[in-house]
Order: sequence, then structure tokens, then C-alpha cells
Amino acid sequence: MGTASLKVSGGKMINARVELCNGSIISIQFTGDFFLHPEELIEVIESALIGKRPCEDELAQTIDRVLQGHNAQLIGASAQDFAKVIMEASQ
Amino acid sequence: MNWRVIPLKTHDAATAMALDEAASEAVRRGGPPTIRFYRWLPSAVSIGYFQSMEAEVDLDACRKLGVDQVRRRTGGGTVYHDHDGEITYSVIAPESFFGKDIIASYNLICGWIVDAFSQLGISAEFKPINDIVTQGKKISGNAQTRRGKVLLQHGTILYDLDVKRMFSVLKVTEEKISDKMIAAVEDRVTCIRRVSNATRDETYQALREAFTKDKDFYEGEWTEKEFAYARELAETKYSTREWNFQR
Repeated sequence: MGTASLKVSGGKMINARVELCNGSIISIQFTGDFFLHPEELIEVIESALIGKRPCEDELAQTIDRVLQGHNAQLIGASAQDFAKVIMEASQ
Repeated sequence: MNWRVIPLKTHDAATAMALDEAASEAVRRGGPPTIRFYRWLPSAVSIGYFQSMEAEVDLDACRKLGVDQVRRRTGGGTVYHDHDGEITYSVIAPESFFGKDIIASYNLICGWIVDAFSQLGISAEFKPINDIVTQGKKISGNAQTRRGKVLLQHGTILYDLDVKRMFSVLKVTEEKISDKMIAAVEDRVTCIRRVSNATRDETYQALREAFTKDKDFYEGEWTEKEFAYARELAETKYSTREWNFQR
């Protein structure tokens, strides 16, 4: 189980708690003071990351796909920022 | 459109948040767009939708001091709502009133607060994402959600500031509650009392006037249906561990 935090420059705080098994994410939870519209989508994003390997660009793409698929907006952080925190928590 | 304005009231944390949701549901069903002002009794800490109560709030200190805790429907950060230290507002209206651009809508609603400050002789400006600053220091924090094509924005206007008391209910280490740390926060945050001689009532009147300027409005109250739904939400959602400790 790893944890990491990122204060986005000019933006918000993202914390991630990540658990890996055989190099893949088996559990993940984000907390922080960012904004996501609609809010409930955070659980869809977390579910979409299960089974993924810690590769920053692929993680960012996965998050972006979920956001675009739901016409959602992240404010104060980007998909890439979330991917960066996962990478750090996965070290 | 005819806005309903619900004058300054006092609520506990769960009821305050439940009323926002009940009003949002009423707007979704065609009810009046609503502006409300309120204070928190007892004083409370609210956390953003994505925050962890255990990580952010010193629950033992809250119990000792009789401070409520609640998780909001909106994102954003942890806020200490002192009963005597702030005025809170909510704006609940169809999303179509404000357009899709979220930052633009923050700017618009925060502009009403800036106008109120201007009436009090305080020069302030909206600072994206969701703050209002005066003399480079934060004086108001705001948060927005959009669900079911209804926009809810709520925010606080700091009237008085007691950083030591605020820190005492947040998860801040003992070393951080040092004079140096308190000074650091006081460098970034201010309140009406530090920049103006306005009383709390004058502040509220200025807010009320600025929020209703150029609008058709009437002074209204909660409907029985809204209040009943809010009581249900306060009991079954906003005061439950399941909601407040979800993350």
C-alpha cells in the first residue's frame, strides 16, 4: 500500500492511496480538495484504474477517457496530475 | 425569473447541508431559484466531497469543543464555520441561468460578493478557482456542484478570524500551532473585521443587497415539503457515518 500527495501548481491537492499486486493496481482511492463535476464519477475513475499498471501516460489516458465519456470536468487538477500521484504512490 | 430569498437563519451542520440539497431538488422540480443566508450553530467543520474526515478533522477536539462535522456535496477544502465568525450563503438555480462554464459562473456569483464588499468600502476581487481576496488575502471561499441540471454554489464570508481556534479542530500538528504558523495563515487569510468597521449586520445587509441587485425577488421561506425533506436528509444522510466518513 502506497500513498502520495500532489499540490497542483495554481490548483488543488490530490492524495492517492494505491495498492498493487503483481505490478497491477488492485485498490485505489483519491482524496483532496479538487473539484470534479459530476462528483460521483470519482468512483468510476477509481474502478477504471483497477488492473492497470503504473504507467503515467496510460493512467492519464484512462482517466481522460472516463472524463470524456461522461462529459465531466476536473477543476484544479488534470488527468495527468492524478496519474502523477498514482505513480508516486506506486513507488 | 423571480428569486426566492431566504433571510439569515441559523442551522446545525447536517440541516444546513440538507437544506441545500432539498432546495436543489425543489429547483429540479420547477421550484423557485433560491438565495439563502445562514450561520452555523454549533460551530462546525465541513469537508469537501472528496476529502477524508479522519485525515482532515481532529474529531476528539471537535467533541470537546462541541463542534459539528459534516461532509459537503461540493468539492473543495476543509472549512471551519465559526458561529460568530462567518456568514454563509447558497445560490440554487437552474444550471441554464449561469451557462456551462463553471469558472465563469463562479466569477459571476462571486462578483455579487465583491459588490457587497465594495459597498462596505472593501476592495476585493475574484481569484480563480474559487476564492475572493482583498489586499492579497483570502476573505471568502466558495464551492459549486451541478447535479440534475441544477447549480448549487455555497460559500463563506469571513467576518472574524480566530486561527488558533480553527487549527484546534483541524488535523494540524502541535508544532504547527505555533505563533509562526498562525502568523503564516494570518498572512494569507483575512476577515471583514480586520479590513473594515462594518458590523456583522451591515455585512449581511450589503450581501443581501448585492445578491438581489437587478433581480426580481421576494423574501420567502422554506416550504413544508422542502423542510420535511431536509429533515429526512439531515437524519438519514448528513449526520451519518456512512456519508461523512465515506473517504
